[in-house]
Amino acid sequence: MSESVLVRPVALRSGQGKTRADGDRSFLAKGVIVVLGFALLATMLFSLTAGASDASVISVVHALIRGASSDDSVLSLRDSIIIWDIRLPRIILGAMIGASLAVSGAVMQGLFRNPLADPGIVGVSAGAGLGAVSVIVLGTTVLTPFISTFGIFALPIAAFIGALVFTLILYGVATRRGQTSIATMLLAGIALGAMAMAYIGLLTFLADDRQLRDLTFWTLGSLAGSNWTKMSTAGPFIVLALLVSPFLGRGLNALALGEASASHLGIPVQRFKRVAIIVVAAATGASVAVSGGIGFVGVVVPHLLRLVIGPDHRYLLPASALLGASLLLLADAVSRTIVAPSELPIGIVTAAVGAPFFLWILLRRRGIVDL
Amino acid sequence: MISLSDVNVMLGRKAIVKDASFDAQAGELTVIVGPNGSGKTTLMRALSGDLPFTGRITINGHSLGHLKPWQMAAMRAILPQSTSLSFPFTVREIVRLGLTSGRSGATHDVVENLPDEALALVDLAGFGGRFYQELSGGEQQRVQLARVLCQVWQPVLDGQPRFLFLDEPVSSLDIKHQLIIMQIARAFATRGGGVIAILHDLNLTSMYADRVVVMHGGTIDSVGTPAEVLTDDRILRVYECALKVGALPDKHVPFVLPQSAAM
Repeated sequence: MSESVLVRPVALRSGQGKTRADGDRSFLAKGVIVVLGFALLATMLFSLTAGASDASVISVVHALIRGASSDDSVLSLRDSIIIWDIRLPRIILGAMIGASLAVSGAVMQGLFRNPLADPGIVGVSAGAGLGAVSVIVLGTTVLTPFISTFGIFALPIAAFIGALVFTLILYGVATRRGQTSIATMLLAGIALGAMAMAYIGLLTFLADDRQLRDLTFWTLGSLAGSNWTKMSTAGPFIVLALLVSPFLGRGLNALALGEASASHLGIPVQRFKRVAIIVVAAATGASVAVSGGIGFVGVVVPHLLRLVIGPDHRYLLPASALLGASLLLLADAVSRTIVAPSELPIGIVTAAVGAPFFLWILLRRRGIVDL
Repeated sequence: MISLSDVNVMLGRKAIVKDASFDAQAGELTVIVGPNGSGKTTLMRALSGDLPFTGRITINGHSLGHLKPWQMAAMRAILPQSTSLSFPFTVREIVRLGLTSGRSGATHDVVENLPDEALALVDLAGFGGRFYQELSGGEQQRVQLARVLCQVWQPVLDGQPRFLFLDEPVSSLDIKHQLIIMQIARAFATRGGGVIAILHDLNLTSMYADRVVVMHGGTIDSVGTPAEVLTDDRILRVYECALKVGALPDKHVPFVLPQSAAM
């Protein structure tokens, strides 16, 4: 009868038997975040004990509980110095950088509505690098006023400015009327990266011997040389970005529908995008200033997590921070031990693992989106 | 009530909508019709706050230019023509985005189940766990409608009517779902909300519209009930098509009208 067409379908109570509705992955996501939290703690503890010098987990835990200055028999003075002044700052800084690389990747992907966006791939890290290299090479000449103004914060601030400028250029080129073209974004990223590399090359040419050593070490990407001073200069930027990022989740989810729909849902889109870009620039700038170019963490970590907990940014951002931190610490442990007593720059480890992974993502997506 | 007076919208240097004035009442289904390129979607985008305009648009007496995005989100929800995603959201996660502004109007204990209720309403019960990207175009369109319904679940909130803007809501749907969607729009208006929809199907327009706004070349050609507006000479003038309202084809030619569903 005609009634059967016009009367609206009876609402099926699918939730009767099950406790959780179909397609609701928030419970799973929360569980994954808790597990990743514990995994990070375990990784940090493991990293404290792994390295050229052997100190057992138990003695390290003892040392941590008793404090730095306590005079104890469990840990030798040498081990105590290694742990307190070398490994601990390196581990905390490594965790912060891993977290900020993964979070800036996830935020950028949400902002561009594109899972391939990553500060390292689209040239934003190179922009941050250009800022940092400018300070290293020109700090004694042209940029002296900049150094004297910002003091120990000059390096991260310069990297932040470089990242910010490059993100804004990239956004301006790749996004038209709220739609981002994947091809344009990647190609613009290649051009921006090449541009930054050209200027970095020019600056390298001008550098003296001491500056060259700094640059080489820095270009390869490394956590070596981490100390409490570096942490206190880059740390505030990273902590700020990581603290703001959870508040971006709701807006990034809405943005997945496109800018117009996000605005219709009540998100002040222009203001939101500005905040997100500043978060990306701060996180990328600070981590590049400390550790140089560590690639692929920002694209691999969010992608793996989306496979498990889905793309809901309210959970994806904190989960990315935790997994990014753990993975970078593991990569650092590998880089410290694989050629011990020497060590490999960590950027080599992440690129060796991350680049093939990136190709795998491309292969998987080839059928879905038209690149 | 939504009220437009002397609204002009430019895209680049071209005037797309010229001196548009009409009212859309709460409790009514207002349908905008007109040929391609007559300015319907541009007008809708100005109404939605996406495009700058001159003139005056008010929602429940509030001027559009003075409202913040989150204030507008509490007054109206907008169904776009189509939405593509680049992340693997489930259907339920997409529908839940309708709750972003937090002003669905549903009580606290109901709101968690709202996505499922909205999906059932658009005949997609049990689709919550599917991936949006794997659905057909028509199914995706209904998922988006469910999301939009969540945003303004109660057609009246705090004594103020709320509005649904639907841009070609049935264009990619089969006839059964065209009727379901129009019924939902009808019910929203009956319960005190207002609906403004762009439609191409004049039969559906005649069947469901309380008020029809005919657009032609960027201007409002006429406003009235379907019976007042859908006339032979107007269809000839606006659509440049010599159609006869109410004329039946030869006996042996099958034809199916949506109206027959209600007979």
